[in-house]
Amino acid sequence: MANVIIEIKNYSWRYLNTTSPALTNINLTVEEGKFIGIIGPNGSGKTTLAYSLDGLIPGQYNGIKEGEVLVYGKEVEQYARGELQRSVGVVFSDPESQFTAMTVEDELVFGMENLGMSVPEIRERLEWVTELTDLKPLLMKPPYEISGGQKQRVALAAVLAMTPKVMILDEPTSMLDPISRKRIFEVLEKLKSEGSNTIMVIEHSLENLIPLADRMILLSGGELVLEDETRRFFQKMPLLLEKGVHPPGSMQFFYELTENGFISNLLPLGIDEAVVELEELVGRKSGYGDPR
Amino acid sequence: MSDQHPFIQVNHLFYCYPDGTQALDDIQIEIYEGEFIAFIGQNGSGKTTLSKCLNGLFKPTVGDVIVDGLNSKITPIVQMVRRVGYVFQNPDHQLFNSNCKDEIAYGPRNIQLPEDQVQERVEEAARVVGLDEGFFEEHPFFLSKGLRQRVAIASILALRPKVIIVDEPTTGQDTRQSMEIMEFLKSLNDKLGHTVIIITHDMPIVAKYARRVIIMGNGRILADGPTKEIFTLTDILAKTYLEPPQITQLAQRCVSLGFSPATLTVEEMLDQYLRLASPR
Repeated sequence: MANVIIEIKNYSWRYLNTTSPALTNINLTVEEGKFIGIIGPNGSGKTTLAYSLDGLIPGQYNGIKEGEVLVYGKEVEQYARGELQRSVGVVFSDPESQFTAMTVEDELVFGMENLGMSVPEIRERLEWVTELTDLKPLLMKPPYEISGGQKQRVALAAVLAMTPKVMILDEPTSMLDPISRKRIFEVLEKLKSEGSNTIMVIEHSLENLIPLADRMILLSGGELVLEDETRRFFQKMPLLLEKGVHPPGSMQFFYELTENGFISNLLPLGIDEAVVELEELVGRKSGYGDPR
Repeated sequence: MSDQHPFIQVNHLFYCYPDGTQALDDIQIEIYEGEFIAFIGQNGSGKTTLSKCLNGLFKPTVGDVIVDGLNSKITPIVQMVRRVGYVFQNPDHQLFNSNCKDEIAYGPRNIQLPEDQVQERVEEAARVVGLDEGFFEEHPFFLSKGLRQRVAIASILALRPKVIIVDEPTTGQDTRQSMEIMEFLKSLNDKLGHTVIIITHDMPIVAKYARRVIIMGNGRILADGPTKEIFTLTDILAKTYLEPPQITQLAQRCVSLGFSPATLTVEEMLDQYLRLASPR
């Protein structure tokens, strides 16, 4: 069994001057190296959960906390200032809100300098991260003058450069066109295959997220409504639809087949699996390829 | 439809930005009353620039945009925006008044309607978008993104344009909010007779709502036709890095089993499955 990296116990958080809690009685355990997808409607507490894990809550926000949020077994408030951020990095949904520097290169270096890394190490990581996120041609440009997709890649790279053990991405592709979105997910796929990070992604675009996610979490109205291994998670289709989640078309199609008693197979996670399953089903039923 | 006169006629339209970037390259389209169209293509393909040419915000560098018989080159913008309204991608780029009522009233006041008509237009537009009068005195920036988008649409509707262009209506919205906005645009189209053009990257939304799709790439129109036909043009889509909705992709990869490459919805897929898989 893998190491537990994050443990949340009976955790509730209410922002000051609000009447209802943003998160209510959350219980969650995340194992090291896992890829977790977090979904839920706007206003369901996804960003609050992300901020709770890197110490922005309760550090930078006023409010009332109940329960425990543990990273490596230690309560987030117990970490010295800046120490937790070495382990947990957040990529914000609005990339501009995290930019401070005049060039992309400075932006990438900024976080590493703050962590007190040596110059050779910074140089090495800068090279690794620009390669991984394909940012070389942009290094000398001001972060304000590049496209939305490029900005989101810079934001991601800046956090990656610090190689936190846990990376939390808050809607990393919300403003992107399909090709830029794909490129972000390609970076995440590479990162996942390197296997050294625990990755948590808040995302509305399920088609890209599902094939990468080991486990999925659904938040709704500040509560953790569902948490399971990805394939089992989507078996709860009625609950998901009721909560306003619309799984990708091929998954819905196979769910309907199961519901109507035509098949009892597992739901396909991606298009490739769906094609194989459908070929088998239709081929068998209609007698194609039937040896008799 | 072909014997009908187009409401918008675009003839050999070229557009260059002041810095010399050529954003539109020989655009030729006709848009009729009552259509529901989606402009799709990567960022930088010219979708937004074309939209801004259609409502007269940008004047053609070469070629003509004729709206309701008026050439955008010589028609005052006041006349253009009454016919074609453009809702910005980010409502925050459009909203600037300190309360919702003034925001919606800005357009009608700007075209110098008398104040009693302005009030009428504001109330009408707010009713259509479902913005409660309780929000009239609120500052738009303190509303949720969904409500801000409605205020932005209301402020355009108040000009009663025949054509409404909405740039990325669903960006940053969750699924339920996206559906709400799209159902609202659908009702503008089929109940109130507005021509609706959406600019979007969301292919399932295109499949569900648009009847016609225009694919743009590098400032040119790469394809223009009924939604079902457009999603079968997998080569052109792939060249522009667009993918049909996942259910369409599944059908297209199972054409040899008898599925139609023009399948757009889960329901259509199920119907075909029942036909194909039933024992003969």
